[in-house]
Amino acid sequence: MNNKPRGLFGERPPPTFEVDPKVWRRRTRRDVVLFGAGTVAALASARSFLPNVNRIDDEVAETLYSPRRTIPTYAKSQITPLKNNYNGATPDPGYIPGWRLTLEGLASGVSVVLDIRSLMTRFSIHEQITRLVCVEGWSAIAWWAGLRFDDLLRAYPPMSQAKWVLVESSVNLDTSGNPDPYYVSLDLATARHPQTLLATHFNGQSLNVEHGAPLRLLAPAKLGLKNVKAITRLTYVAQEPRDYWAERGYSHYDGI
Amino acid sequence: MGCSTTPRKEGISTSTIPEQPGVLVVKRHHLLVRWSHWLNVPILLGLSLSGISIYWSSPIYQHTPDPLTGNFDVVADIGIWICAHVPGLHHYNSPPDWIYSHMSLGPGMLAPALRIHWLCAYSFMLNGAMYVAGLIAGGGWRGLLPRRIDLPDAFRMIRYYIGFPLAKLGRRQWPHPCFNTKYNALQRAAYFSVPLAGCLSVATGWAIHKPMQFHSLAAIFGGFDAARVWHFWLMWVFILFVVPHVILVFADG
Repeated sequence: MNNKPRGLFGERPPPTFEVDPKVWRRRTRRDVVLFGAGTVAALASARSFLPNVNRIDDEVAETLYSPRRTIPTYAKSQITPLKNNYNGATPDPGYIPGWRLTLEGLASGVSVVLDIRSLMTRFSIHEQITRLVCVEGWSAIAWWAGLRFDDLLRAYPPMSQAKWVLVESSVNLDTSGNPDPYYVSLDLATARHPQTLLATHFNGQSLNVEHGAPLRLLAPAKLGLKNVKAITRLTYVAQEPRDYWAERGYSHYDGI
Repeated sequence: MGCSTTPRKEGISTSTIPEQPGVLVVKRHHLLVRWSHWLNVPILLGLSLSGISIYWSSPIYQHTPDPLTGNFDVVADIGIWICAHVPGLHHYNSPPDWIYSHMSLGPGMLAPALRIHWLCAYSFMLNGAMYVAGLIAGGGWRGLLPRRIDLPDAFRMIRYYIGFPLAKLGRRQWPHPCFNTKYNALQRAAYFSVPLAGCLSVATGWAIHKPMQFHSLAAIFGGFDAARVWHFWLMWVFILFVVPHVILVFADG
């Protein structure tokens, strides 16, 4: 094969060199030891690195995020069933009549309490059919309607230093039915995305208790676990607030 | 090997010619290619084990729940079947978990499995870049390119592999076909396809990791749910490559 014209794609003979057998044995032994040491070092560094992996992946997600990139919408014929994925037991609907939304961390310095009727009459309602993606891997295309989070932010501006919103629901229960308040962190850039809704309707009807009546977050740029059902409080803060699933080993931003 | 044109190389990259006082070393692979090759072992193992743990939380292949057990996961069915039919496993306490307990990080391990998967996935992409750099620096990419003679040569190799065990049983000579290239046609097809499968795994991985930012990428594979199916079966491409690869390395050198 060595004498034929090779061209760009023709194989070249591999480079060869000659060494003393003793030197070669020593070098082989050295390589084996080095490879073993390298493996141990790589595994040890991977172990210490593991807790920071989510942060790196979060930063990648934030770099990819663009407020101008719209999230794909679907036709009504593409709607798929959406299961009740309450983390624990589904709350008793008894909380709904007395439900109020509390806003804190506003520029005005006072907290604001709103009921569902005032939210629905003050703000225009937008419809969208988007995909909700769960961290577990399943997804559903669902038809939502609600007010834009951005409209609420304009009507009740947060304090100037605010970069985050802590989204809380006090009505969540754990699997045995005991109170287990749910809270997630959401960056204000995502809250301001035109397709981030405070949803009031699902499949053309008022939200039912399974899907977070009377008001839930719908942030399709985030994993489903950020889409808090039955929101009771929004708190605008400067520092990244606590997050239910980040405290349980999942990522902080969950941007998709 | 019995080929006059290509003297057999002993070990990974050395060849000893007895007449000479020194050892003639043949550098067949660039250092970066050798490193990236071996790094694939822990990385692919980590990706597969964590990947099956992630699969557990939402299996692609489901059926209507079994009225008795409530199970809907086909993989869990395989575990149930194994525990029922493999001697010594009849008393395994949770048959639906058998596959996940033995071939993944375990059931209910989604959060750590995702972390390990991201760590291995980023390492896999860096490692792939290192491999490509080594292929370019060492000129090794030429040995991977498909050639015109590949189809007949592939048949010669298949014939060799099929006849080899029979010849061994009959204590007959069964010479290895001769090639004047670095790899034979089957090796070339495999070593060309596996990096391609690696690229597809990365692409489908991004498509399901960031289905909104990369929705056009997901669309190439038929949408989010289809990209998950692609990603799952690409893991099997690696498994179906690695098993004969390791067997043939031991059997054939």
